[in-house]
Amino acid sequence: MFFLTYLRRELRRRMRQAIFIALGLAIGIGLVITVMGASSGVKAAQAKVLRALYGIGTDVTVTTQPKVRSGQPRPISGQASQGGPGPSGSGGAHAEVCINGKCYTSGTIDTLLSEDHGLFSAATAAQVARLHDVSAAAGGLLLTDNRIVLPSGSNSQLTPPTSTSVDGTDISHPKLGPLSNGTLTSGRTFTAADKNADVAVVDANYATANKLKVGSTVTVAKTKFTIIGIVSQPEASSPPEVYIPLARAQALGTDPATGKSMKGDVNTVYVTAASASDIGAVQKEIEHLLPHATVTSSSDLASQVTGSAASAAKLAGDLGKWLAVLVLIAAFAVASLLTMAAVARRVPEFGTLKALGWRSRRIVSQVLGESVTTGLIGGLAGVGLGFVGVAIIDKIAPKLSATVPSASGGSGLPTQTAGPGGVFAGPAAASHATVAVPMSASVTAGVIALAVLLALCGGLLAGSFGGWRAARLRPAAALARVA
Amino acid sequence: MDITHQSVPQPETALYRLAGVSKIYRKGGQEIPAVRDLDLEIRAGEWLAVQGKTGHGKTTLLQLLGGLDRPTRGRLEFGGHDLATAAEARVRKVRASSFGFIFQTFNLIPTLSAQENVEAALIPLGVHHAERRERVRAALDSVGLGDRARHVPGELSGGQQQRVAIARALVKEPRVLLADEPTGNLDEDTRDEIIGLLDTLWRERGLTMILVTHDTPIARRAQRIAVMSRGRLSIRQDTRA
Repeated sequence: MFFLTYLRRELRRRMRQAIFIALGLAIGIGLVITVMGASSGVKAAQAKVLRALYGIGTDVTVTTQPKVRSGQPRPISGQASQGGPGPSGSGGAHAEVCINGKCYTSGTIDTLLSEDHGLFSAATAAQVARLHDVSAAAGGLLLTDNRIVLPSGSNSQLTPPTSTSVDGTDISHPKLGPLSNGTLTSGRTFTAADKNADVAVVDANYATANKLKVGSTVTVAKTKFTIIGIVSQPEASSPPEVYIPLARAQALGTDPATGKSMKGDVNTVYVTAASASDIGAVQKEIEHLLPHATVTSSSDLASQVTGSAASAAKLAGDLGKWLAVLVLIAAFAVASLLTMAAVARRVPEFGTLKALGWRSRRIVSQVLGESVTTGLIGGLAGVGLGFVGVAIIDKIAPKLSATVPSASGGSGLPTQTAGPGGVFAGPAAASHATVAVPMSASVTAGVIALAVLLALCGGLLAGSFGGWRAARLRPAAALARVA
Repeated sequence: MDITHQSVPQPETALYRLAGVSKIYRKGGQEIPAVRDLDLEIRAGEWLAVQGKTGHGKTTLLQLLGGLDRPTRGRLEFGGHDLATAAEARVRKVRASSFGFIFQTFNLIPTLSAQENVEAALIPLGVHHAERRERVRAALDSVGLGDRARHVPGELSGGQQQRVAIARALVKEPRVLLADEPTGNLDEDTRDEIIGLLDTLWRERGLTMILVTHDTPIARRAQRIAVMSRGRLSIRQDTRA
């Protein structure tokens, strides 16, 4: 009781100094919280990007390079002639598109191809699933549906080709693959009964852009699929636009290397490790099992993320961290010096207390109590400042962009179509995709606990110096200072 | 034997026994003797006044007697135990229970009220809160400041502050009252008032009082007057029976 009375009165007497010390600590701690909040926000944004790539439950993906077509014609090639009178003397346009050696001059060409990834046998997923540290594995087909409408007699203009990214989803593993990351906004997702059905789930943005709703149809490889559900994927992702059952994708897809169907094939295997610590082991096991495959973990992807999100993460991690540490050290140093100065001014007081028989320990604890209280006040103010800082960052932070290695190997197929309008270049095979990442800085309970701990440390550090000085005082020498 | 809880010695018993006590300060490689080869006995219940010029060792002697400092040489017995060689913890205990200090500058804690300043003297004794309050009230009443208990030193006159300091010295019921120029900062009227109060308390409580003063009329009220000169002590007056 006396301890608290003395502490309160002393802090009130030195209110300006106590406020100054508390404010210094508050700024330091506020900065630490702000930097950590921003850093965790950036990390969360990055994680969102990575999660969006392969789905929440996927730790490792397995892909392979497409086979090089030697001595074979390109899967899609075209040539165009326009202007002068043709052999028929019509003077109109003429376009020819060849797919796997077969050439078309009219009609609609709709192909479902996998050009960026090579194919595995679907049994590979089962082999991977049997590996020691693997919890689950599922195969999938990340494909592109290319649609080219060639000019006909009534329509002599060549329209640009369209590409739609299509995911052949393994319905038996709903927690793996890109669809697992989506939130159903309308309709339903696949059930076991849909295994061989012409049903599709479409991405919400794609549905909006093409005015699709549940019950509408979408055409993939000339086959009409009834939309049973619409999913919303995280803003940071570049998700497939249409999801169809894997068996249907295998049946409709064409292997560009052979021109044959993809029955029994997959081009991506999604793997969940038994635990987070097993991811490295899983990677090694798969590399051993499939020496020619590309095995990618989410941490591999994280290191490949570039763009402002990565820069912000680096900024928060490097500059921000050190700035916060420096401010904190300065605040601790100022607090320690001011506490020591206060103790120096109170030497006669401590001498008197020693003359009264007070133990050094009691005097030290009094000094420590005062500085820890100041530290805690600073800590609380720092938490408040941290919340303000984080709120400001939330308010003013621009949307970050992240350039990530695309899980689908790009949403478009390299297509060139020649026609009257010239040569159209289809979407390039992008191995990287840039996505906008909303940054949301946040303060966690752990950060608040750290702030309080820092405040305690600051107070204890400052009090220790002061207390040490007070403890060393000889009563006679301390009382001599009065004279 | 626990020297902090001894029975009060008989009047003829020497409470203090100093033999060959010297205190030498070292400053910049130079030795400055503050007290030299001092031999002295102080009886329980005695009032000893110590006089002397500034810098001749009066305060040093008082600090040695109060266990605030240790002699460089010699034997300084209090209640039969040598404070010169006792462990610091034991000396602190003796200080806490047996010695009451009164300083020229009062040395009150400026942030604490009169009541809390007096209470501070009971903290090292581990006295229970309720008993502390009761003893503090009685001590302040005994110096006529019962009604100023909640005032901080800044709200009290010099004389009142010294009364609070006296209450603080007495509240623990010490065996020895050590006063270093207790009236040095007071006007003449207040000085007489304070000395009168000390005289009364000394008589009523049977305290041993050692009072350092420049003021000869005050010193003359003591039973013995010792004069410090260049660190050496001589007795000028002895009115003891």
